[in-house]
Amino acid sequence: MASAEQSPVPLQHHNLCSRIILLARKIRSDVASLLESYVERQGLDRTISLDSVDGVPVAAVEQGGELTVAEQLGANLQAYRAFQALLGEVLEEQRSHLTPLDTDFHASIQAVLLQVAALAYQLEELLALLGHSRPAWEAAGPEAPGRHSLFEMKLRGLKVLQELAHWTVRSVRDLRQVAMHSQGSGTAAPDSQFSA
Amino acid sequence: MWDNPSLRCLLAIAFLHLLGLIYSQETGFPEAPENLKCITHDLNRMICSWDATSSANLGLTYKICYTNSEPFSPVCIETEGKRADIPVTIGSTNIQITTLNASGTPLATETFVLPEENVSLIPLTPQILNLSADFSTYTLYLKWNDSGSVFQYELDASWQIQILHKETLETVALINYDSKLTGKDSILSWDWTSDIPLECTSYYVKIRCYINEPYFTGRKEWSEWSPIRTVPEKDTKPNSPMVFPQDKVVLVGSNVTFCCLYNEGESIKFMKYGSKSYPLLRLNKWSSAIKVQNVSASISSGTNVWCLLEPDGLEGTVLFVGYAPDTPQNLSCETHTFINITCSWKPGRATELYTQRQTKYILFERISKENVTCEVDELKPEHHCNFSVHANQKIYNFTLGASNPLGQAESSLLIDVTQRVHLETPDKFTVSTNSSTNAHLSWYIPGNFIQIRLLCQIEINNSNSEQQLQSVSMAGAENSNYRAWVDALHPYATYTFRVRCSASEHFWRWSEWSEGKKLTTLEAPPARGPDIWRERSPVGETLTVFWKPLLLSEANGIILSHEVSCYSREIMLKAHEVPVPLNSTEIKLGGNDCLISVVAKNRAGSSPPSRITSMDLPSDNVKTELAIATGNGIYISWPSDPNVTCGYTLKCCISSGSEPCKVDWEMFPSNATDAVIKSALFQPGVRYNFSLYGCKHSGYQLLQNITGYMKELPPKVAPNFTVEETSSDSILVKWEDIPVEDCQGFLKGYILYFAKGEKSSSKTSFTDEENKTEKNITDLTKKSLRILDLQGKTSYRLGLRAYTVGGIGPLKDLYVVTKENSVGLIIAILIPVAVAVVLGVVTSILCYQKREWIKETFYPDIPNPENSKALQFQKNICEGNTALKTLEMNPCTPNCVEVVETQSTVLKIEDTEIISPVADSELPEDGSDPETGSHVVVSYCPPIIEEEISSPPIDEPVGSSQVIYIDIQSMYQPQVNPEEEPEINFVTTAGYKPQMQLPINAMKMESHSPTEEDLDKTVGYRPQANTNVWKLDSPDSPISIQSNNENGSFGSPCSINSRQFLIPPKDYEDSPTHNNTGWSFTNFFQNKPND
Repeated sequence: MASAEQSPVPLQHHNLCSRIILLARKIRSDVASLLESYVERQGLDRTISLDSVDGVPVAAVEQGGELTVAEQLGANLQAYRAFQALLGEVLEEQRSHLTPLDTDFHASIQAVLLQVAALAYQLEELLALLGHSRPAWEAAGPEAPGRHSLFEMKLRGLKVLQELAHWTVRSVRDLRQVAMHSQGSGTAAPDSQFSA
Repeated sequence: MWDNPSLRCLLAIAFLHLLGLIYSQETGFPEAPENLKCITHDLNRMICSWDATSSANLGLTYKICYTNSEPFSPVCIETEGKRADIPVTIGSTNIQITTLNASGTPLATETFVLPEENVSLIPLTPQILNLSADFSTYTLYLKWNDSGSVFQYELDASWQIQILHKETLETVALINYDSKLTGKDSILSWDWTSDIPLECTSYYVKIRCYINEPYFTGRKEWSEWSPIRTVPEKDTKPNSPMVFPQDKVVLVGSNVTFCCLYNEGESIKFMKYGSKSYPLLRLNKWSSAIKVQNVSASISSGTNVWCLLEPDGLEGTVLFVGYAPDTPQNLSCETHTFINITCSWKPGRATELYTQRQTKYILFERISKENVTCEVDELKPEHHCNFSVHANQKIYNFTLGASNPLGQAESSLLIDVTQRVHLETPDKFTVSTNSSTNAHLSWYIPGNFIQIRLLCQIEINNSNSEQQLQSVSMAGAENSNYRAWVDALHPYATYTFRVRCSASEHFWRWSEWSEGKKLTTLEAPPARGPDIWRERSPVGETLTVFWKPLLLSEANGIILSHEVSCYSREIMLKAHEVPVPLNSTEIKLGGNDCLISVVAKNRAGSSPPSRITSMDLPSDNVKTELAIATGNGIYISWPSDPNVTCGYTLKCCISSGSEPCKVDWEMFPSNATDAVIKSALFQPGVRYNFSLYGCKHSGYQLLQNITGYMKELPPKVAPNFTVEETSSDSILVKWEDIPVEDCQGFLKGYILYFAKGEKSSSKTSFTDEENKTEKNITDLTKKSLRILDLQGKTSYRLGLRAYTVGGIGPLKDLYVVTKENSVGLIIAILIPVAVAVVLGVVTSILCYQKREWIKETFYPDIPNPENSKALQFQKNICEGNTALKTLEMNPCTPNCVEVVETQSTVLKIEDTEIISPVADSELPEDGSDPETGSHVVVSYCPPIIEEEISSPPIDEPVGSSQVIYIDIQSMYQPQVNPEEEPEINFVTTAGYKPQMQLPINAMKMESHSPTEEDLDKTVGYRPQANTNVWKLDSPDSPISIQSNNENGSFGSPCSINSRQFLIPPKDYEDSPTHNNTGWSFTNFFQNKPND
């Protein structure tokens, strides 16, 4: 049988991909509800334009050509590392400036933050399992507090959550392709390519 | 010619020029100075200027000589210009101005007298030294020099400051500012707060001055405006779009203006406050604003304000709307440890502002001038702040300041810290004991209390939830254990201890109670011997000794056994130990009496002995007395017996349920004569028996028996009773005693009820009986009663109830019928018979004596009809009838008799009258008189002739009134249409009516006919008796009404040939109608009064 003939490594790929997909879906679900409460607590409108907010990884970035698995997973990993830092900032801004008494809301952000950290860790694991090197942490640390106005903080937090939701969708799609590829070839070739 | 206006104008100008020439000639030269004007800036010197013609004379100079008054000689100066600086003098100044040519030759001289009124005081133009802006508060700060040194003395100065904005320099504000010049230069400052953020547009400022010299009589005028100054930093457009103010905090209800700055080429699509768009106010080409009125409190993250720019761009800010801090309420400061003073307060109204904007509290102590910034938790309703206690400082004057971006408030409190001691909860609380009555307590209180004494309260709760408080005062110590002990505890009792403390000298507050600790004291010997009693067996061989278990408070521990001893003359004969839970034992006396001793034992020792003698003294004539129920006990009294020396003992045996009775007793002192016995076992309505013993020197003697109830109730059952004997006027009733257990009290008597009544009567209680009689039988020995004066052959209901003090018991009743009174019956028969016989005899005698008169009156001789011509019929009327026999029916049977009359409506009218009483009044109008004017025609027609009543033709003439003889053979054949027969319900046709089919209206006829005479006029055959007599039922029976048999005449005496009624109906109608005229003895008796 096909499954019996599979080597342990592709099976691990598959299982890990499945776990990452599951976690990404969970994050998406949690972020969706978090977005609702975020918009309500900040007095914002979901339709507000966030184009002016920068510094947040955007999921729908046009790629010049086809990306390798390593590049795709690396992009995911970098994005979630960035979200990990951004969510930390958002949480701190909410605690310190915007919603100091709303501990339940903070706990919701914290929960998503932990899941994002777990997702980044699992992506690192997957990259290692596939034999790719982990991308280095980008030097962009948390921005100095007070640089943004409170309104910008609100917009930035909203953009972080929206883009995180988009990234989870992209990650699910990417991970499915990785899983299919590993199933089809028995093992993922380091230089396999698929379109972004 | 003079009418031409142009010519006149030219002439006027020429005239004026001529006058000028004349004046110049008078002053000498046209270069003469004129229009002298003088102004002063400092009231010291003035600048005078004048006009002079100098066009033709270049190089002219002016010599000005001025003098103030006579004593002074004039001062002259020369000047090339037409102005000169001369001193300001009080009053008027004489100024002579001489125009000199280039060679110094005077050309013209003019002298002016310049009064002070003609001098103008115009201050120097002020200069703005500094203009700065605080953009966070929208405030402009302005500084300038007042040039006070110009004047040598104090003066009032006014300043006018003009604020302008926008590129068009629109005036925003024009403010007056007053100051006082002190003779020295001073820097004045002034600030102004804008409604609009200063970033929103450019602002400009200028200033001018006015000096108010009260003694200067000349004109005082405003100075020139200072050069305009621009708010420096924001006079250019911003680098990037922004919304102002940024993250501002305002009061609830404020009006706030927001502006959106944008770049060149951009425009604002809309601007929103929260979710609502507001109309844009254009400030300049790179700024627009919105104005929001009366803002309400924002959520914790603030209210967003943003503008959407075109082609793209979004800028925003957050506004926090809240309240200034409320005055801290209920500020209270106390120390727990003498290390810190803790102040607590309630913040009052929420400010709705958080984090950096939340209220900050600072606790300031005025004496030590120290302050503490308080960290508070916004979520808690009460805030706390600690301040360190200073050595050698007892008095603290605290001021708690609350501030936030919108305002500040404060509360103050002065305390003596030694009088505000609120100790911490005692900790490490322990309780121990090594005796049966004492306990040692220890606890720890943190803090330094060396300078005060402590007062501690120890709460002692026993197992019965009884609470006791003991207070103990002790010297304070530093972080020390405190000890106390309590005594007077009960042996072998469990207690729960708690402790709390406060300052002893100046009580402020108790600390919280420590945790509770339980302790059980050690056992001690029982406090006393048990209560004992003894009973001899009937033969006296054995003695049963009873004792009562000691109470827990008396046992001082767990009673293990009782030792029962028998002493005779101080020598113990027998002794044995009875383990618990037994509380009695038997001792065989063997014919000897002894002194019984009972001792209770526990682990700690034995109780003092309880003693009782076994000897019983004989009793004579022991009586049984009744006790009184008190509701919750039994009141017993007895006569005092002087021989009783060692008290009385009241013994009883109370049984509860099916268990054998339990011997119980109670002892009373020798002087007691009564007691109320109470027991939880006592039940209402249960009889209890007591025996009262007197303790005499040589033994116990039964004095009396007592029986009683705790509470008397009504008897549970009714007494059984029977009727022993019945006569026509009396009943003998007998009853039985109620069993004691059913009495539920001492019987006080019986109540016997009797009243007439049938067994089938629905009455269930004698209370419903109106004529009941009741007899109260209080003689309890009486067991029967005869009820007299009753009526014979009458049913009586008897009832019997017993009653006690507790009430009346249930009723038992029965019915009995008295016998018939035979004498009365005989009398009732004999008297009417005798009366009838006497009446008969008298009538017979009278009739015999008056027989001739009666005969003539009632039975006159009847003439022979055969001799009457009136009754002789012609032969053609009855052919074949050989003899003129009037009443012979056969063989000549007339078919119809017709009577021909002139007035033929009678018959119909009669019917109509019967049917409708209204016709009664209509008839006379027809001119007919039913009684006199018409002849009643009786038409005898054997068959039924019926008409519908629905259309009685009252006025319809009848064509023939002849008597028609109808064939007797067809008398039962209907002559109307058979189909109409069911609808025919009234017979209007006169004549014979079958006596079984008279309509119901015939009965109605009676009820509707107004008079008896109307009835007489009813045509047709009439039964020969009152029809009512023949009715099957009573007249008011509905059956008779519906049966249409009103005139039914079974067996009525009638004749076919008769033309008239044999007996007039009126006779019957006049007779009274009685349905039931029968008389019976029963009725006779029943109609008698009941008595």
